[in-house]
Amino acid sequence: MSDVLAAEGLRCALAGRPVLDGVALHVRPGEVLALIGPNGAGKTTLLRALSRLLRPLAGTVTLEGEDVWHIRPRPLARRLALAPQGAEMWPLTVEQFVGLGRAPHRGWLLPLNDEDHQAVQAALERTGLIPLRERQVTELSGGEQRRVILARALAQQPRILLLDEPTAALDLKYQAAILGLARRLAHDDGLSVVITLHDLNQAAGVADRMALLAHGRVLALGTPNEVLTAELISTTYEVPVVVCRHPLDGSPLVSLVGEHPHMH
Amino acid sequence: MISRLRLRPIVWAPILVVSLVLVGILSLGVGAVWLAPSEVTQALLAPSSPETRPTAVTIVWDLRLARVLLAALVGAGLAGAGAAFQGMFRTPLADPFVIGASGGASLGATLAIIGRIGGVGVPFAAFAGAMLAVLLVYGITIASGASSATALLLAGAALSTVLSAIVSLLMLMSDRDMHEIFSWLLGGLSGRSWPQLLMSGPPLILGLIGLWFFARPLDALTGGEESARSLGLPLNTARAAVVAAASLTTAAAVAAGGLIGFIGLAAPHIARLFCGSSHARLLPASALVGALLLVLADSVARTALAPIELPVGVLTALLGGPFFLWMLGWGGQR
Repeated sequence: MSDVLAAEGLRCALAGRPVLDGVALHVRPGEVLALIGPNGAGKTTLLRALSRLLRPLAGTVTLEGEDVWHIRPRPLARRLALAPQGAEMWPLTVEQFVGLGRAPHRGWLLPLNDEDHQAVQAALERTGLIPLRERQVTELSGGEQRRVILARALAQQPRILLLDEPTAALDLKYQAAILGLARRLAHDDGLSVVITLHDLNQAAGVADRMALLAHGRVLALGTPNEVLTAELISTTYEVPVVVCRHPLDGSPLVSLVGEHPHMH
Repeated sequence: MISRLRLRPIVWAPILVVSLVLVGILSLGVGAVWLAPSEVTQALLAPSSPETRPTAVTIVWDLRLARVLLAALVGAGLAGAGAAFQGMFRTPLADPFVIGASGGASLGATLAIIGRIGGVGVPFAAFAGAMLAVLLVYGITIASGASSATALLLAGAALSTVLSAIVSLLMLMSDRDMHEIFSWLLGGLSGRSWPQLLMSGPPLILGLIGLWFFARPLDALTGGEESARSLGLPLNTARAAVVAAASLTTAAAVAAGGLIGFIGLAAPHIARLFCGSSHARLLPASALVGALLLVLADSVARTALAPIELPVGVLTALLGGPFFLWMLGWGGQR
């Protein structure tokens, strides 16, 4: 199967500190790929490198065989969208904010047309934001803002969607809704979805494949069953865990055991 | 800022336009000779009618109309540029002079006054000085390899300080011109007429229209650089375009009215109260508010201490400052 998005030998540094050290990653069409790993493993940096926001020191990122650094910013934003975690909000209405996701299609100078308004409407519907469309994004709760950022990425109508911690700050209902949406986008609409998650069980539930990152390297890449082993997770996260089976679908469930490490 | 007052453009746009026309008519009536609004309207609409007093026509058309139009345009330009810079630099403290336009304009005007270049020499030198200063700030920032908006702000602040110091030095060294330089620095529309309007009007309007075209890039820039880039905005091109349009507007406004403070800072904040922060609406709303404020202020400047004219820049700061503080408190500003 051909890869939509591929990273090879990716090395990145932030303020001189190496963060990614030779990452190789291949994203297939129509799959959800979850990136997991401890804090500081380089998950967000990897998403930034994949979306051409961070220039790597070495290695390449290719989008359907083309080096992303050879693609102009606007065409790239039509094919690939990032829903960042720490996005800054400013007082636009939800609809205006999500409408910015249409700029890659409409250009920066022309007003939005019917097609754009339909795309915005669809993005608002899929993220449950219709009742909030006239509200200022700065007045929304953290969880609502996460959905606004996701909606803006959806309005870009990309083939590849990169989601950085999309379920952080969301209540259980919207966690389930966002993960369900990610799966539908991949399996029904054929998008490639790369998603970083801290909750390993959520990751196991949503992902077709997962990549375990630590210290800027991919330690394991495969199905949730292959990656979420007690040995691999215990050593990577430096906590003792057991892995059992989900009673309904048999997917792996990771649980802490024994004494939890103290903060020193 | 509070946002509960938010109105639709269909509401605020007509209100502001009608208010501006009414205030403009009142402003045309005040001065050494007072004219009733009805007489002003008649002189405007039917100057050649036998029922219109010829003196009224002369006063309105030859003495006051250009100045009122210029006040409206300068107010609109300062407010529009202020709104754009506040968005692009993502700080509510930004005003049109934030990247060096005021320092450059002051130095240009000062040199022209000292060099005895009369007529449109002073406004032209102010315009050129403002544009050169902004170009220099932009050039330094690009050359230093720093690509952030913050670097641009810092370079602007640094250059402004240097230029102001040079202006102060020049003032000290040329006693006889000190008064004229000082009154230019205070900002005012005294004695401005058609030549100044014809000179400053076109670049001012051009810059404002340009800014309005860049409304969506400004919206994206307000969200930060990374966010704008991930939407495919060519960051440097967008910034250069905004700086060019806003500086053209500012330079033309400064050339016409000198350093009129406060309007460019406050008008966008007032506009945000009712129209929100989307630049497609904020820019025209700010421009209308700025025009309204400066036409009002200029009317007061002409009449408050008649026959002495107050520098309008002093007035905007004197009346506007406390008003702005009150507004911030009332709005529950963070």
